[in-house]
Amino acid sequence: MAAVSLPAWAALAPMAVFALTALVLFVYDAVEPESHNSALLAGISLVGSLLALGITGWYLVAGTGQPRRNGAIELFGGNLVVDGMSLFFTALIASVVTLVVLASYDYLQGHDYQAEFYSLAMLAATGMAMMSTANSLATAFVSLELASLPSYALVAYLKHNRGSVEAGLKYFLVGALSSAIFAYGISLVYAATGSLQFDAVAGAIADTSLVGVLGLGVVMVIGGFAFKTASVPFHFWAPEAYEGAVAPISGFLSSASKAAGFVLAFRVFLTAFPIDVIGAVDWVVAFQVLAVATMTVGNFAALKQEKVKRMLAYSSVGHAGYVLIALAALTDGANHSFVLGSGMAHLLVYAFMNTGAFLFIALAEHWEVGRTFEDFNGLATEAPFACAAMSVFLFSLAGLPLGGGFFSKFYLLMASINGGVAILAAALIVNSAVSLYYYSRVVKAMWIEEPNGDLEIESYPTGLYAAIAIAAVMTVLLLPAFGPVAETANMAAEMLV
Amino acid sequence: MVNAWIAIGALALVAVIIPLSMMLISSLLRPSVPEQGKRATYESGEVPTGSSRHIQFNIQYYMVALLFVVFDIETVFIFPWAVIYGDAVGEVGLVRALVPMLVFIGILVVGLAWAWRNGAVEWVRSPRAESQRVDRDI
Repeated sequence: MAAVSLPAWAALAPMAVFALTALVLFVYDAVEPESHNSALLAGISLVGSLLALGITGWYLVAGTGQPRRNGAIELFGGNLVVDGMSLFFTALIASVVTLVVLASYDYLQGHDYQAEFYSLAMLAATGMAMMSTANSLATAFVSLELASLPSYALVAYLKHNRGSVEAGLKYFLVGALSSAIFAYGISLVYAATGSLQFDAVAGAIADTSLVGVLGLGVVMVIGGFAFKTASVPFHFWAPEAYEGAVAPISGFLSSASKAAGFVLAFRVFLTAFPIDVIGAVDWVVAFQVLAVATMTVGNFAALKQEKVKRMLAYSSVGHAGYVLIALAALTDGANHSFVLGSGMAHLLVYAFMNTGAFLFIALAEHWEVGRTFEDFNGLATEAPFACAAMSVFLFSLAGLPLGGGFFSKFYLLMASINGGVAILAAALIVNSAVSLYYYSRVVKAMWIEEPNGDLEIESYPTGLYAAIAIAAVMTVLLLPAFGPVAETANMAAEMLV
Repeated sequence: MVNAWIAIGALALVAVIIPLSMMLISSLLRPSVPEQGKRATYESGEVPTGSSRHIQFNIQYYMVALLFVVFDIETVFIFPWAVIYGDAVGEVGLVRALVPMLVFIGILVVGLAWAWRNGAVEWVRSPRAESQRVDRDI
């Protein structure tokens, strides 16, 4: 590589770009509060997120923070760390934000407070990217709040729509409760170990005499992550929030926010509570229970939904269960970097296919065709391209070899077999079979059913179509390109285990 | 040696027993005279108007409280910074001591400017309050 030598703080450039974009939007809104120039606002956000994505991609290729170039970069006394995993997830979050911004341009036509919408989305992205670099419980909590608080406001964005406000309030209340639990868990861990930084916590665990306090703290920290990743038992907010929010934000929360929750969980449990040190508190078993429960609850609840968006919300809970395998299969004999890497790769594939599916819902809401399965009847006669893309997303979500979802689920299956946890493998297969039923209900409605009499579509919004097309192309491309992605994920995971 | 916690436990026990016994004994002794005035909401001696479940107060208080937080946080961080500022300049130089704080204040100023331009400091006029207003100076 060229002899580019940047100062260490430049490793945080993607987050700085997100934060700066948010500030630029605020300044623009302060100068022109009455402006309705949505092209400019969406343009600024798009440039910002593409810049963040570009920088992250460059770092990933150049090997910043990875073993082949000096290893992980620790900043602010080790409170933040930039390594392969943080870059992997920052790239994921930046991609999702790019898609969401692109789609929001059309979706938000005619709505007020667009500048606030985009700047809150940028601030949430800043928080999520910070979550992927957090290396101490204090920065973990602050970045989690930075990601959560704008999300509450974004869910309640349509402030004259009862559903949106109700969803925002429920999300906020469950979020406040789980933040409190998380903070209390952190305080208990601090009480038992005397440190907040992950490495130092791991170092102090062996000597602590307060095993009970530590165990309670770990359980409460798991609760905090369960909220952020929409896992059982803190998944109740997810269907409400995803259904009530504007569809691009549902996609944003269910993909990027979930991924950010998982990266923090990976880092905390592998660096701060390594299983060989914390033997007394067997969190692997806890995650096995959570994974099976989350998969089953999510998929079986999705089965009996009548509204497509709500079905996708429950399927998102189910996918959180699949990714939990990455923590639940970390048994003694397992190849830890492979197990963890499979979860990371699934999150990346999921980010594209799930965001794409929610953006299709955004398109349907833009057309005002309705929310139930029946309302989608015969949509393919009017919009064959968008429906083809949606079918790719849905089959990929189900795990059929139409998109990257096939390989990522297969890797998760291999991971659970590798970890020797048969129940996880069985639950994964059964739930995927169940999910195929409700995903194909949408496909059947779109392609096979006759259209209802008055189905007519006037406009084909460019931004939304572009975002859906990019998501579909990425989902399909991840089928042949899954090997390199999984390799990158495994390499990033190897630095942690 | 007597355990110190016994005294604390006894104190806790007494603290629970005394109020409970006071309520119990007075309920045994007092006459029961139910009447309307006893069940009404207490509003500092005024006759209560409307239901107590729909308290209406001005949204402006939230705005003021949020702006207060901007300045409050600013003070909380500037104060310790100002205390060590002289030493910090000697130790790490003017740029590293001053610039981070300027960036911090700059971000808050952007927030304040945004709130100002979007009308957070203008007093909200409520149509309902306007219609109910009683002009005293006639």
